[in-house]
Amino acid sequence: MKRLLELNLTLQNELMTTVRLTTGGVCSCFGLTLDESEDCKLCVTEALLLLTRNGFQTARVVFCEEEGLQVILKGELREGARENSVEEDISCALLEALVENLSIERDGEGVCAVSFRFGS
Amino acid sequence: MEELELFQRYRQTGDVADRNKIVEKYTYIASVIAKKFVGRGVEYDDLFQVAVLALIKGIERFDESKGLQFSTYITPTITGEIKNYFRDRSRLIHLPRRVSELRVKIKRASDRILSETGKAPTAKQLASELKVTEEEIVRAMEAGNTVSIDNFSGDGEEDGMSFHEVLPAEDLSFEQIENRDAVQSAMRILSDTERQIVSYRFGEELSQTETARRMGVSQMFVSRLERKILEKLKQKLQKSMKD
Repeated sequence: MKRLLELNLTLQNELMTTVRLTTGGVCSCFGLTLDESEDCKLCVTEALLLLTRNGFQTARVVFCEEEGLQVILKGELREGARENSVEEDISCALLEALVENLSIERDGEGVCAVSFRFGS
Repeated sequence: MEELELFQRYRQTGDVADRNKIVEKYTYIASVIAKKFVGRGVEYDDLFQVAVLALIKGIERFDESKGLQFSTYITPTITGEIKNYFRDRSRLIHLPRRVSELRVKIKRASDRILSETGKAPTAKQLASELKVTEEEIVRAMEAGNTVSIDNFSGDGEEDGMSFHEVLPAEDLSFEQIENRDAVQSAMRILSDTERQIVSYRFGEELSQTETARRMGVSQMFVSRLERKILEKLKQKLQKSMKD
């Protein structure tokens, strides 16, 4: 059976730290190198910040075994307004620089989901 | 001034002051990205410095005529430089922070004592001054001799090779000699036929079938004898290890 871990969280700073720590643990389980693991943690944080800047209050994070470690971050409850900032461009460019299999989904209101893969 | 205008002006004049205006305008990107890599064992200031250097390099290489936004172009450039920095840095041997700090304190105390007394302090004096043991002083001073194996072994790069190139590989020759002696001694207890099988099977690495063909016997014979030989050798080697 493929390994799977799913988290539902409110997008608050202290919980993002928890997700970051969890990501480190998951990366270790999947045998990622220290460097990959640090990059993965950075990408997870960055994706959650992207969702926050796009007005989401809650998100679902899924770690699953799919040719390595596949991470899917999906915005759930959207209540706030989208912040139109340069930081969003930087976040997207940073994610693109760090992962090859990056997918950023957008709906009419902005970014709504991010997924990427490590260790494939 | 707009992004395009800034770049066009710098390309025309080549003036460092114009380039610096661009640097100032985009330093925040270097800062944002550097902050994201904090927590990996490198201070923010160092990361920021690497990021700003990448920013300056990026300004020189950026082609504004292609219509790409500079922020989109420079982010992967800075990220790449920071990652290279981590990669290069991880190849170096680092002293634990406590030892590094003690070395700084030793240096300061030594300089002060030398200027006050005209004599270089002893380890005992330094230990008393810094309230640590003499052993810690000696260890910290010796730790200063730690070098990266990527450093050049001569006086300069021109002199040649890095330490990892000149350090000898693990020498297994003594172990090989001992093993060969033990095997030769054990072989003496075997009959001529048994030695022949050992030679074909483990010397020439022939299959049992090929060994059997060369010796004019059946493969089953070779198989049975091989088990017997291995058992005999095992007992002989165990006995010689006990002796």
